[in-house]
Amino acid sequence: MENRVSPTPSEPHDLAPEVFLDEVHSFEFWFQAVEGYLSTSPYGRKPELADSDLDESEREALVTTLCNYAIGETAALDASSGLIRIAPNRRAKIFLATQVVDEARHLEVLLHRLRELGVVELEAEVQRRANHSLLSFRNRLLQFVDGRDWEAAVFAQNVILESMEFAVFQAHAERADPITRQVLSGIIKDERRHLGFGENELGRRLHETPHIRNRLQAVKNDLDALVLGTFEDTLEQLRVARSQRPELGRRYLASVERLGFGL
Amino acid sequence: MNDPLQTGALVSKDSPRQRFVLEETGFDEVPVKYRRFYRRWQGPGDSLAPNEVLCPVCKVVIRSTRELRPGDRVYCMPCMSRLVVAVGAEGRLEARVAY
Repeated sequence: MENRVSPTPSEPHDLAPEVFLDEVHSFEFWFQAVEGYLSTSPYGRKPELADSDLDESEREALVTTLCNYAIGETAALDASSGLIRIAPNRRAKIFLATQVVDEARHLEVLLHRLRELGVVELEAEVQRRANHSLLSFRNRLLQFVDGRDWEAAVFAQNVILESMEFAVFQAHAERADPITRQVLSGIIKDERRHLGFGENELGRRLHETPHIRNRLQAVKNDLDALVLGTFEDTLEQLRVARSQRPELGRRYLASVERLGFGL
Repeated sequence: MNDPLQTGALVSKDSPRQRFVLEETGFDEVPVKYRRFYRRWQGPGDSLAPNEVLCPVCKVVIRSTRELRPGDRVYCMPCMSRLVVAVGAEGRLEARVAY
């Protein structure tokens, strides 16, 4: 573990499992990954991209949606930074440090987009438009972190919250104005790492210590109503047709189901 | 999908594996040296070559220089998942997460 250098294989799939895990959890991997899609995109978008004309109702809905994204990203920023201290190993600590940077960037680009949309009092506006289910979810997540409950916190943040964001951001990007779409596309690329970390970390833990399954099922049951409330409100703001919502729900639930958690 | 050596023909497990030359796909979410091993999934109209499987976690297409067969190990670097190639319910190759 200690003396490994970054590998240069002919085929990454030939890496030894431990070398692969060291590689993808490293700050160096993160740095070279985000360089690919962020280096020419200040605030997550190409500077030359022109804003589109939104009517007042479209702008209102977008501001409310982005305010709630900002709440979710702030929750993930607070939680992932707190998780570093209780992470069980060096790999997880280093990965979470990259996640902290990602979440801070997400918050920054979302607030920047809100300013572009004419929001002046950012903090007040975010609070005024906050979804109560999302605020309750945030509080539960931070309780897990404060209680040093690694499995529950990773489950709530990196599996449930990240999967929900992944599904919602993808749906939103498909129908958003060009600038918002580009901002969201960059965030989605980061989310792949976050949700992958959560699913793989918990998958390994469930394999090694199956007795934690019942406790995590209870965590899921506890959070389900809050997730559903947040999901429904957001899809309503995005004007996603009701006929499309079950498919988005399936995308969200897939990772939870792969870990063996039912409805 | 645009590999010069790609044929798409099915082969038996005893026959030599097809080899593939991987070109850049525009995928930019991993370090440069790994980028040609991944590409974006284009949705329902897309299809997988014999050297490709879809990551079930993050929906990125994982590519290899070799034809893939059941039991092969592949890595999804964009979401940090270890996967094993298997035959799915519809007879096609799919990747399953190996925790």
